[in-house]
Amino acid sequence: MKKLFITLLVVIAGCSVAMAQSRGGLRINEVMVVNDSSVVDDYGERHAWIELYNSTFGPLEISSVYLTTDSLQPKMYPVPLGDVNTKIPKRQHVIFWADGQPDKGTFHTNLHLVPGQDNWIGIYDANGKTLIDEVLVPASLLPNTSYARCDDGIQNEENPAAAWEVRDGSPEKYITPSSNNVIRDTNSRVDLFHDLDKSGVALTIMAMSIVFSALLTLCICFWIISRIGNMVLRRNKMKSQNISPAEVAIKDQPEHDSGEVIAAIAMALRDHLEAHDTEQTVLTINKIKKAYSPWSSKIYNMREIPGRK
Amino acid sequence: MSFSEFIIGNLTRIWELTGFYNATWQHLVMLLVGLFFIFLAIKKNFEPMLLVPIGFGMLIGNVPFNTGAGLEIGIYEQGSVLNILYNGVSAGWYPPLIFLGIGAMTDFSALIANPKLMLIGAAAQFGVFGAYMIATAIGFMPDQAAAIAIIGGADGPTAIFLSSKLAPNLMGAIAVSAYLYMALVPLIQPPIMRLLTTKKERVIRMKPARAVSQNEKIIFPIVGMLLTCFVVPSALPLLGMLFFGNLLRECGVTTRLAKTASNALTDIVTILLGMTVGASTQATTFLTKETIFIFFLGFMAFIIASTSGVLFVKLFNLLLPKSKKINPLIGNAGVSAVPMSARISNNLGLEYDPSNYLLMHAMGPNVSGVIGSAVAAGVLLGFLA
Repeated sequence: MKKLFITLLVVIAGCSVAMAQSRGGLRINEVMVVNDSSVVDDYGERHAWIELYNSTFGPLEISSVYLTTDSLQPKMYPVPLGDVNTKIPKRQHVIFWADGQPDKGTFHTNLHLVPGQDNWIGIYDANGKTLIDEVLVPASLLPNTSYARCDDGIQNEENPAAAWEVRDGSPEKYITPSSNNVIRDTNSRVDLFHDLDKSGVALTIMAMSIVFSALLTLCICFWIISRIGNMVLRRNKMKSQNISPAEVAIKDQPEHDSGEVIAAIAMALRDHLEAHDTEQTVLTINKIKKAYSPWSSKIYNMREIPGRK
Repeated sequence: MSFSEFIIGNLTRIWELTGFYNATWQHLVMLLVGLFFIFLAIKKNFEPMLLVPIGFGMLIGNVPFNTGAGLEIGIYEQGSVLNILYNGVSAGWYPPLIFLGIGAMTDFSALIANPKLMLIGAAAQFGVFGAYMIATAIGFMPDQAAAIAIIGGADGPTAIFLSSKLAPNLMGAIAVSAYLYMALVPLIQPPIMRLLTTKKERVIRMKPARAVSQNEKIIFPIVGMLLTCFVVPSALPLLGMLFFGNLLRECGVTTRLAKTASNALTDIVTILLGMTVGASTQATTFLTKETIFIFFLGFMAFIIASTSGVLFVKLFNLLLPKSKKINPLIGNAGVSAVPMSARISNNLGLEYDPSNYLLMHAMGPNVSGVIGSAVAAGVLLGFLA
């Protein structure tokens, strides 16, 4: 029963690790339905395109996920295996062409985006059942405009459409195939601290509070643990020696347990009374220096002789 | 081309590749600084384990050569041997390995026996944030100010880790400054401690710490890691490795791993870390106005940290009963710099009372300073990365 329980735990842990490695961080990031003046493919041709974004902070291998424009056919376009370019670096993008010509290469799909009507696009995981991300591109999207996330990979759980906007290529609403939707030249958090906390007092107060609370929590926790430990120790002593709580309290005084005191008493006995046990050794507190390495130790490197226990 | 021209051309090329041809006064200054570090380490015994590799690394990094010759030997030239070794610094994976070793070497018993000493380690982190305020006042951007201020944590690996994330361009100066002031702790701290304490306070005797059970020692790294990293997940690489190393030491079934982590591994990483940090201080990037500011701010950070540690103990004593007073001479030990600052507490205590050994008491705030500085680094990383 115990073995079965442990096996079950290992299986659950394995499953959770497998889940943690899924492609949940893959996002549809920008879509263009009618492309007359935007980016061209390797053949110099323009087609509708779908930009995918790896929103995680590690590389993401997307081969065998499915792209589709029909929720009833989730396995419409499987991203082929064996192409090194399907591994998206952290926080980077790839473009898939919705040109209906999958024979042109990995990034050319059999998908079609239809101008003038709503286009639903979904990504399914390798099992063809788990929907990773989806977007409904509105029918009102004009030619050469894109439907893009306001900020790369950022979702709005309550109102998914609110995370998206139409981009017309103007300086404020630039179209960014294979690039970040928001181009940042500085760290906004640093700028915020620079603007709002010039003296650094706010950061100091916040940070010191966090440092203190972290160590205070640890301090309280160990105070409680030591109390519980002492209680258990006393109870065990009372049981084993059959003594009263008052006697246990006397025996538990720190002087009785202190190694320094014991060492001092032992040294005093040795020096003044010559009282020691049969061993003719001298008590020392010098550090023993040994040129030792576990790599050269026979104890650790020799295989133990098997024996019946 | 005649034969003589061919010979002269080649000899000229060799001459142009030599250090003599490419030397500038900045190179010579840095070479002298490297030699000074080696002198401090060997003759004055100031943190030799750190200053010898750093000092010699400075010599290696400041041998002048023609950077345009494509020799691929400089630490900043991609693919060079030094550049590969430097990856542990630039990508920040040497510091967590050092923390693994520190965890495997450190006995947290003093801290577990007297958990309230943890607060001294927290108070000393004011050195970090005090220096941050001064740095922003001087005109550094918050991320650079934070990277410089962490010198006040008196923890070289933490300083390297944070500066590699927030201000890689200042990392060399920050690392050298952190290690230099750690080596100079015996000169910096005692005057502050004497100034802030009375004779009566310096002879306060603290009760011997209670014995700590093996179970408590095993629980400490597990609970410590979970609690601190739940509060500041950005400190996970440092605190995770620190507590992991300590669990290897205390659990009793991984003696080999603990010994390797605390001896061989730490030695190897210390050699590589010290040497590459030293080599990264190339004259062209090191001798700047910012470096002078960094050294000044680092010094201020150490002073503020030591001061706040001692003052916090004095303040704390007002709340404690007479029998449980803490000797304020252990307040300086909150500034990490393990175990140097704890030794200073002990030595200064013995100066005023030859039988008052403060070492074990000072080890409590000392190791909590390590935890505190890692938490402070995590907080700064969380705010500004």
